[in-house]
Parts: sequence; structure tokens; C-alpha cells
Amino acid sequence: MTASSRFGERAAVALKDAYLQEALTIATTKFIGLRKDSFAGFPEGEGLRDQARAIKEATLQKLDHYLEQVADNVERLGGHVHWAATAEEARETILGLCRDRGVKMAVKSKSMATEEIELNEALERAGVTPIETDLGEYIIQLAHEKPSHIIAPAIHKTKGQVADLFSRELKERFAADPEVLTAAARKELRQKFLQADMGITGANFAVADTGTVVLVTNEGNGRMVTSLPRIHVAVMGIEKVIPSMTDLMVFLAILARSATGQKLSVYTTLVRGPRRSGEVDGPEEFHLILMDNGRSRQIAGALREALYCLRCGACLNVCPVYRQIGGHAYGETYPGPIGILLTAMLKGDRAVKDLAHASSLCGACQEVCPVGIDIPRMLIALRHRLDRERIAPLGERLMFRIFGRVLASPALFRLGAALGRLAQRPFVRDGRLRSLPLLFGRWTRSRDLPPLARRTFSERWKDLA
Amino acid sequence: MATRGEFLEKIRREVRRAPGLFAASPAARPDRPTEAAAAARRQMAERWPEALERFRQEFERVNGIFHRVAGLDEVAGVIGDIAREKGARELVAWAPGELGLDLRPSLEPQGVSIAVAPTDGRDDARRRHREAAARAPIGVTGADFALAETGTLILISGAGRPRSTSLLPETHVAVFDRERLLETLEQVGVMLEALHADAERSMSGGVISFITGPSRTADIELTLTRGVHGPKEVHAIFVGTR
Repeated sequence: MTASSRFGERAAVALKDAYLQEALTIATTKFIGLRKDSFAGFPEGEGLRDQARAIKEATLQKLDHYLEQVADNVERLGGHVHWAATAEEARETILGLCRDRGVKMAVKSKSMATEEIELNEALERAGVTPIETDLGEYIIQLAHEKPSHIIAPAIHKTKGQVADLFSRELKERFAADPEVLTAAARKELRQKFLQADMGITGANFAVADTGTVVLVTNEGNGRMVTSLPRIHVAVMGIEKVIPSMTDLMVFLAILARSATGQKLSVYTTLVRGPRRSGEVDGPEEFHLILMDNGRSRQIAGALREALYCLRCGACLNVCPVYRQIGGHAYGETYPGPIGILLTAMLKGDRAVKDLAHASSLCGACQEVCPVGIDIPRMLIALRHRLDRERIAPLGERLMFRIFGRVLASPALFRLGAALGRLAQRPFVRDGRLRSLPLLFGRWTRSRDLPPLARRTFSERWKDLA
Repeated sequence: MATRGEFLEKIRREVRRAPGLFAASPAARPDRPTEAAAAARRQMAERWPEALERFRQEFERVNGIFHRVAGLDEVAGVIGDIAREKGARELVAWAPGELGLDLRPSLEPQGVSIAVAPTDGRDDARRRHREAAARAPIGVTGADFALAETGTLILISGAGRPRSTSLLPETHVAVFDRERLLETLEQVGVMLEALHADAERSMSGGVISFITGPSRTADIELTLTRGVHGPKEVHAIFVGTR
């Protein structure tokens, strides 16, 4: 089976899933509203977004310097820094630590970076039990599924499904009530936090000037994971480094507003190495893994701007494609408009030859992005490359070439329109084109079209003029 | 495994090759952080009443419970009331030197036992205190900053000020006075710049925690639920001066 039919099939399945459709509409609409309200009462927001964008760009312009600085400072505070060029190196570093230190169980707080390197599977194979502790991720892990939204991983599940899942896995009957289910997870996971040997997190930011790794959560699992186990490992993409504490405040002011409409998330945790002398809590060892995994190629590449991404999820909520098909249909770690670009970054253009078209280029993603990433521009450039590198299927390339030629020539355009008007006649039903033959049928399989007008605008214009 | 040298060399090569999208610089930092922090404190010495009112509003908006008392001697009374309401017989607290008061003389006679955080970090004492924190329904801490614009309590961990006190118990109570009030995130940035500019203080505190209300999740059908991992209830007690 080709990747293309797989994406098409996943999207088709999602479109027929009535519950998913409703859940997606409710969730994304709610997030859009919360975001909008929080920026409405925050006139300085626009300026801060521009500033945040400038900080990301400025950081990339001296990324080597800031990475050295963050590494030096983490070490000064007693932490260890590991350099992982690939996902495999990142995984191996963690597995090595687990082996050397006899780690049997690791608690995790939500991290897209560890999803990206498929860490849980690797830990399980090595005999280490990974436990996701973000409630949504915990549900997903028990169900052996993948997250469907960057910040709300289990939006595709009903409370009834979660109740059945918990009842089966925790061997106790639970009511389909979010309050009851949350309490059950609290009790179960509390024991794990206290027993685990290792805590694994991602990082929302790392402050170069101070060697501080910053985690933003609402549940408090980030604090648990960094306070209770004897080892803390943070996995971070190199683009997450920022210069100073002053910069951090700019990002904090817009991150939660963009993600959930909160002024700040409940917990912002600034981790400064291992436990200090005299402290009751905190790990004996702190490890920071700085991961490249395809990122550095884009510093001077076409996807540079995607390196600004804060992983807030705002672009998912407003995307007309994401809102219809949800995160699973993308079939990748990072869903939504930014996910298409991040997937291309990590796996190469070939991996997104179909996903590159899963966007209407409406621009809503760019409008809500807290750092103003021009996603549509990069998607168009990506489609160009797919065409130029002959990654796109021949039929598609040919079709667009002909289409381009016709649009560029008034004579051909008029001729084409005249032919089209004739050819469409047998297929117009109730004023719409609902099923077309041959290649055109691929369009009408999931959409319809208005027929070409009997008289074109330019013909009518001549009469009016 | 990549070495630091190889890894950075690759990044350096790419950075040199990249033209950059536009001229940009990071946020302007205070030239003299210590003096900037002192200036912010002077400002707050005037503006604290407005900041306190804003803090109360924002803290309540995120479901915090706000109390105001006239002096340190009234704090134990408020905490005693909370303990009674919860039926709590056990409590963990920051070391008296860090909290600014010793709760034991007033609360222990009422039958509430108090595990005070050790300051020397000996392993057995650490373990005992951790167990107490995991058991206790209430944890009492101070706050290094109280940020008005978001209703946020900011706590710096250290000897005698465990992270778990504000994390493991179902109810967290933070005690602070007007010296701790700040108005904006920008001011917090100045304070943190000043903290790190100070060679000695920059090594203290393994974790700085920003706490904005009780732990929450909306991961099941977007239904807001409190206390999923951290506290279900957060109280702030503001100590005024008579």
C-alpha cells in the first residue's frame, strides 16, 4: 500500500467517525474561543508576539553560541549534557543511563520530543517500564494509542471509553465521571511517582544564560517527575534554547494564552540542575539531552521558520483540515499544519508528499501563531520542491503543469472554458458537479464543484461596458 | 554518539551558511540587574496596595482562596481553621526560619502534628520528611514572589524549603507579605536576572516553581477537574502590618 492511500484512508475513516467529528468540533471551537478571549483583554499581546518572533530568529542566528552557553551552565550547576545527533542517539543515551543505574521504572511528563524518538517502545524493549503521567497521555498509553492533539492528547475519547479502560486496567469499577476518573489516576500515579527511579521530561525552553530547563504543565506532573525520582532526564530539541530570563518572560506571557487561553499555565517549573545541598527533594542526577534529529539542516534550509515553533497547538485548532480529520489521520508525531512542516524537517520531504496537500492555505494558522510562523509560505515552497524533485506522482505533476499553462494564456483559458462547458453538460445535477469521470473523479469523490457558468465574467463585462 | 565538538561544529557551519530571515535581537536585559531589582522594589513599596488587590482578583479567578490577616500571630489561626475544616491531624511546613514563623507552639496543642522541613539534607531526615509530605493533607510554605497580573505564587526551593510541601499535600497554603508583591512578569524577569547575577545566590535553589492556582486538567471530555496531581486547593495568606 502506498503512503498516499494510507493518508487518504485514515482521513476517510476520520470523516466517517461521528463521535470524533463532534469531539473535534467541540474541542477546537472551545480552544479557539479561550485563546481569543485571553488575547482580547491583553492589548500588549500583539507586541509580545512580534518580540517573541524576533527572539526566536535572533537565537537561531547565534544558535551555536547559545547551545554552548546552555551546556556550560547546566554543567556548572552539576548537570550532565549529552549531544544526540539523531533520534537513535537520544534513545541510546537514555537506555544507557537506565542500564548503568539499574532503572526499572521511569515516569514521564508529556513530551513531544520523546514521542518523536519513540522512546516508550525502546524502553519497553529494554525492560524498563515507562509510565506517562499527563492524564491524557496516561489514557492514551493504557489504550495503546497515539495522541491526537499536541495539548489535549485524548480529545478523541469519551468518558465512557475512559471509564471502561480504567476499570479494565486498574481492576476496579469506575463511573463514567471525569471527577472520579481523575481521582483514580491521581491515586494510581502517585504511587508511581514515589517508586520510579527516573523521571523523563521534554523542555519548553532552556535559558542559555542560566542553564535553566523550563517545563510548563497544568497538572503538576512535571513537578513530580523532576522532584521525586533519583534521576531526571530532559530531552530537548536544539531549537528550544533561548538567551535569557528576560526572554523567558516574553514567551511565558503568550504561550499559555495561545494554547489554552490561560494567563499562565498552573505550573511553570524552572529546573536548575540536580538537588542542592540541604534540599529534601530533587534528583541526585540531572541529564540534559540536546537533540538535533534533522533540525540543524533547516537552520539554513527552507523550513527555518518552523524552528520557531513553541508546540502550543493553536494552529491545529483553527486549521479547517485538522478540524475535520483530527490528529491521528496525519499518521505522524506532530499533527496539524505545523506538523506537516516538522515531519518534513525530521523525515525529509518525501515523508509528506501527501500531507503537503492537507492544507487549504487559508492562513488561519499563521494568524494565531504566537511567533507568527508563515506556515502557508513554507507549504507552498514544499509543494514546489515535491514537484521539482519529482517526488509528487507523475499524474499530479502533469495535471498542474497543464493547468499552469492554461491559466497563463488567455487564448488557452477561453478555449478550455468553452470545452469545459460542453464537456460538463452530462454531469450537472441540481446545479452542482457531483461525480466526474476519469481523473476528475478523484476530486468529486469527497467534494463537489459548481459548474462553469454559461457565460464567463469577461463576456458579461463586454456587454456591461 | 556525537561529541560536543562535532555537534557544535555542524551547527556552526549551518549558522554561517544561513542568511537569517530578518534583523533581530533578543529582549533587552537590564544592564545592572541588582539595581534594576532594587528599583522595582522601591516602586512596589508605593504600589503594593493596588498590586495586592490585583493579586487577590487574579488568584481567585484561578480558584485560589485568599486570606488577609493583620499580623504574623494570626496566621496559625487561619491554618488551624483550614486543618479543622479538612479534618487534618498532620501538616508539613517549611522550616521556621524560611517560613518566618513556627506553627508548632500554636497548632500542636490543638492536636495537629507538624513535620517541619529539615535543613541539613541528611538522608534519614530527608526520607522521613518525604514520607510525611506524602501523607499530610496540608503543606505550608512561604512565597518568594506573589505576581499580581496572573495571581501566581513563585517559590524558590532550597534547604528547609522543599518542593514537595507545595506539591504532595491536597491543600497548599502559602504565607507572604507585601515585600513579596510584584505586578508584572517583566518585573519577575528583573528579579530572576538579579538572582542569577549574584554569584552565590545563583547556585542556590534547585527549582523555581511558578504556581498559578490548584492543579488542573481538562483531558477527559474537556471537563475541568482539579487536583489531578498537585494540590486540589491553594490558599494564600497575606500578612499585613498593624
